[in-house]
Amino acid sequence: MGENEGFINYELQEFKLFEPLFKWARKKSLWIVAFCTGCGGIEIPPLATARYDFERFGIMPNPAPRMADLFLITGYVTPKTLKRIIVTYEMMQDPKYVLAHGSCPINGGVYWDSYNVVKQLDKYIPVDVAIAGCMPRPEAVMDGIMEIMRKIESGEANGWKRYRENYEYYRKNQDKLFGEGWREKEAKRWLAWI
Amino acid sequence: MDMNEKKVTEKVENAEQVEETKLPDTREGKLVKALIEKAPYVEGNVRRERRVEFNVPAERIHDFLELASETFEMLMQISIVDWLKEGQFEIVYQLWSVSESVHAFVRTRIPREDAKLPTVMDIWPVAETYEREAHEFFGIVFEGNPRLGPFILEPREYEKHPLRKDFNLIPYVKAIYGDDFDRYDESKTYYVI
Repeated sequence: MGENEGFINYELQEFKLFEPLFKWARKKSLWIVAFCTGCGGIEIPPLATARYDFERFGIMPNPAPRMADLFLITGYVTPKTLKRIIVTYEMMQDPKYVLAHGSCPINGGVYWDSYNVVKQLDKYIPVDVAIAGCMPRPEAVMDGIMEIMRKIESGEANGWKRYRENYEYYRKNQDKLFGEGWREKEAKRWLAWI
Repeated sequence: MDMNEKKVTEKVENAEQVEETKLPDTREGKLVKALIEKAPYVEGNVRRERRVEFNVPAERIHDFLELASETFEMLMQISIVDWLKEGQFEIVYQLWSVSESVHAFVRTRIPREDAKLPTVMDIWPVAETYEREAHEFFGIVFEGNPRLGPFILEPREYEKHPLRKDFNLIPYVKAIYGDDFDRYDESKTYYVI
């Protein structure tokens, strides 16, 4: 505590010296949660296979949210998917980064007046990098991943800190969309320990 | 000019001939003819190769589908068209004949208010899911289907039947997702994206 009293400590102070090393290591070992929302999930196989091969940057699709660092929101987000996204996002360990992929998470895209598509994703979870386009080409996704790597190294990718600091704001928006107590009512069905 | 006119008249004549011979002497034509002989209350025609159509009055739809299921073994889909001006729902049963390789559209129309139809679950059990979907999105009641009710959508959307043409999207979207979506403009009635 002491001089930092009043705001949350995210890093262990004893390891402050090694912070640049940690940042470099985080940048070079982004594991993606294998959670494909919407139509952009089909853009991930070209990224993973020989042509764009993101494994050379240390990126790997990973089925477990507990081990993942990067959350790709690939395409439109419906309220039902958003519930799962929020639960998955909260299950991920810090530090965690969100890459919104395509026009739909930004402002709804072609579904801007649809009754069933969430218009602004960053009202519900923090987004670090957003790629516009419908669909973004794999080059654009690689560019977004490069951007998120740059932001991790410079410390700008702080969505996970923002989520902790402004948790009331995000929680308020989530409860407004799903109704109070949706975690207890519905998330409990698929995650018994919540 | 003369040549062109001749061609046009020839074409018109040919078209008339095609209209006169409604049921062609093909596999599809024979199929439709056989069905119409059994069920004289339907209108049937051949759209093209492997594609036939039937128009059935709503009160005879179950009888006709039961009859048709002898040749058309598979129910592929139940799709709904909402004709708002006429005040009607058009229900299209899409059938596939495995033995004949023919795709049939069985159309029927019912009024939009208090829309009711008998279920076809006793003919094709798979109709349960299709009828639940049609019930959820359009509010059509399929009498005899035991599992009608909230299906895919959130409960608040189930009450409104969101695929009906008179479902007003923009006030609903503004109420649910917030006022600040950027492309909305009061003065416009039509949007091009």
